[in-house]
Amino acid sequence: MKTRIDSIYIVDDDPITVFGIKKVLYDVVECDNVASFENGKEALDALLLQLEQGKEIPDIIFLDINMPVMDGWTFMEEFHKLEINKPIRINIVTSSIDPADHERWLYYRKKSMHFVDYKNKPIFKLTAQDIDYISKAS
Amino acid sequence: MKSKSNLLPESKVSLATSYLIRQLPTVTAIIDNEANFVAVSDKWADFFSSEPKDFSSKSIHDIFGNAEIELKELLNHCIAEQKECHHIVQLNLRDKLFIRLISKPWFDESENPIGILVNLEDISKQISLEEKNKKLYHLLDETAEISKVGMWEFDLETNNLSWSKMTKKIHEVAEDYTPEVNTAINFYKEGHSRNTVSMRFQKALDKGEPFSDRLQILTAKGRELWIRNAGKPIYKDGKLIKIIGTFQDVDEQVRSEMKIRENEKLLESIIDNLPLNVYVKDKDSKKIMVNKSECEYLGVKHKSQLIGKDDFDIYPKEIAQISREEDVEVIKHQKPVIGRETKSVKKDGVETTFLTSKIPLTGIYGNAIGIIGISMDISTLKKKEAELKDLINVTALQNKKLSNFAHIVSHNLRSHSANFAMLLNFLVDEKDESEKERITKMLVNASQNLMSTLEDLNEVVDVNANVNLDKEKIDLNEKLAKVKQDLATFLNENRAKIINKVPKGTKVFAVHAYLESVLLNLLTNAVKYQHPDRTPEITLRIETGASHTILLVQDNGLGIDLEKNGNNLFGMYKTFHNNKDARGMGLYITKNQMEAMGGNITAESEVGIGTIFKVYFNEN
Repeated sequence: MKTRIDSIYIVDDDPITVFGIKKVLYDVVECDNVASFENGKEALDALLLQLEQGKEIPDIIFLDINMPVMDGWTFMEEFHKLEINKPIRINIVTSSIDPADHERWLYYRKKSMHFVDYKNKPIFKLTAQDIDYISKAS
Repeated sequence: MKSKSNLLPESKVSLATSYLIRQLPTVTAIIDNEANFVAVSDKWADFFSSEPKDFSSKSIHDIFGNAEIELKELLNHCIAEQKECHHIVQLNLRDKLFIRLISKPWFDESENPIGILVNLEDISKQISLEEKNKKLYHLLDETAEISKVGMWEFDLETNNLSWSKMTKKIHEVAEDYTPEVNTAINFYKEGHSRNTVSMRFQKALDKGEPFSDRLQILTAKGRELWIRNAGKPIYKDGKLIKIIGTFQDVDEQVRSEMKIRENEKLLESIIDNLPLNVYVKDKDSKKIMVNKSECEYLGVKHKSQLIGKDDFDIYPKEIAQISREEDVEVIKHQKPVIGRETKSVKKDGVETTFLTSKIPLTGIYGNAIGIIGISMDISTLKKKEAELKDLINVTALQNKKLSNFAHIVSHNLRSHSANFAMLLNFLVDEKDESEKERITKMLVNASQNLMSTLEDLNEVVDVNANVNLDKEKIDLNEKLAKVKQDLATFLNENRAKIINKVPKGTKVFAVHAYLESVLLNLLTNAVKYQHPDRTPEITLRIETGASHTILLVQDNGLGIDLEKNGNNLFGMYKTFHNNKDARGMGLYITKNQMEAMGGNITAESEVGIGTIFKVYFNEN
């Protein structure tokens, strides 16, 4: 049984990763609205526009860390400044094995009202748990 | 006078005789066999402060009082033996007098003894001189015993050499030993001592030269001994009659003197040869002793050139003042300063770092009399230390760069390998042919990305691996002209304007290839990130720093928020604008190249206005 989700963002500058995430994603979810962005700034701008227009914001965000213009952490910082009243699941997907990045994830996981998960590339498969945004966030 | 002539009975002495006796120039009296005065000379009367007549019908015993008994015997003896007798009596007349009394029997015409002729001689002076002499001799003996000074005397007339008791004792010969000139000289140690004494003695004999020498003898018991032998010629009526001399045992003195001198010499050579600057200063900080190192450090040949001088004579005023204050502290509080690091500058400007100790110097009563200074030159050590610190800094920096680079490598390679793994995983399970083709295309892409990443990394390694760079003075304007020519098409297409304010002939110390790459990168960036509302304008200027030449590259482009991105501006794979061909390599390589040349690069920027890159070329 596939889970039905309204909106999903994929933020990654690497088209291969975007392709891969989409591919494994469709194995577990049914979603008509999967949007991808090349960096944090583009995703943030899209979010702001959605909020302004009163449209639905995504339930799950797949987020890369190393990106040009605005990296994943800066996006996280800006994202938490926004007024969002529903819990969102943020899956950080990175090839970084820098302990500093891991530390920062732990920091957001504790602090954030949203559910922040951390996965190292490569992603071969997603399970129901990886997209369970409601129970994990509350 | 008439009455005087009545003194003696006419029967015994004629008037004429009596008169004759009176005029005798000696203290003389004639007494009869019963010791009664018969006649006295005027001198006799004067001697007893009396008149001649006072002695008439008096006995000689009346005058000599306490000496009476002895005198009686003497006179009896004189009469009995009928010959001249001498006797010394003490007389309490004016002072205590010692009198020599000479009595002679007096005969009449028929050779019968009719009395005694008595003569008096005052020998008080003689006696007291003799006593004084005795005392002196005694004193001399005592002195000789204590000071171990003996005496000797050589009589030229008799060729007789005599030694005092002490002289014999020093030679360790028996008291009855009789010395001769030859045997005496043979006591001296062969060589210098014996030669000297022979020569001195001969010269004293020939020319009357006095002498005094410290020589060595071998005593009769075979002991080696230091002695002082002195001699002085004695003349009589202009003729040399004898040589008298002293002979003193100075062994202990000489040996302790030699010991002291040895110790002094030892101490001096230790202090002189210490690889430390050692000096002693008096209370006024004037040098009273310096060692060789100190002389060498201050560039003087002789110690005397420093003795009596203070630091103000030797060092610049500020340095001397500091040193003087230290001296005063040490003297005032009597507390040493140990191992203080001080910097000294000589008048010629040479700077030396010392580890200095200053120790208070006290006199035998504990009073402060100056300081002892010991300085160790640690300039070389300090230099080494600084070099080491530099090395540590460089190593730390390299380490940081290396660790950074390791992260970059691992991250970039990981992201590609992750893609490979993922795509291959998809490919294995994929049934759909068109999807398989899509995945394969992506695999090719991934492979190309990996190749280009490896090339980037190679370039970085190249820059950092060039440890021995051939830096040379390069004319900046010539290099700029070349880069401009290489970029001519690109610059023209963008209508970029370059304003070159670099003075003619400006040279920088750099590596040809790196300088070219740096200029190319900066100019390209300035045009690439141009502001959409204006044509690019790039101004090049020069600033000169202490050890750097600084090239300023100013553009009127987009600018960048350094508050947000400052840390990453020169980072690898950091891009800040939505520029499709930006790979985040240019500034990273530029920074690495500048650092490899011992220089640096910094940036100032304002969003919407432009950016200034400052390129520091190390001129050392």
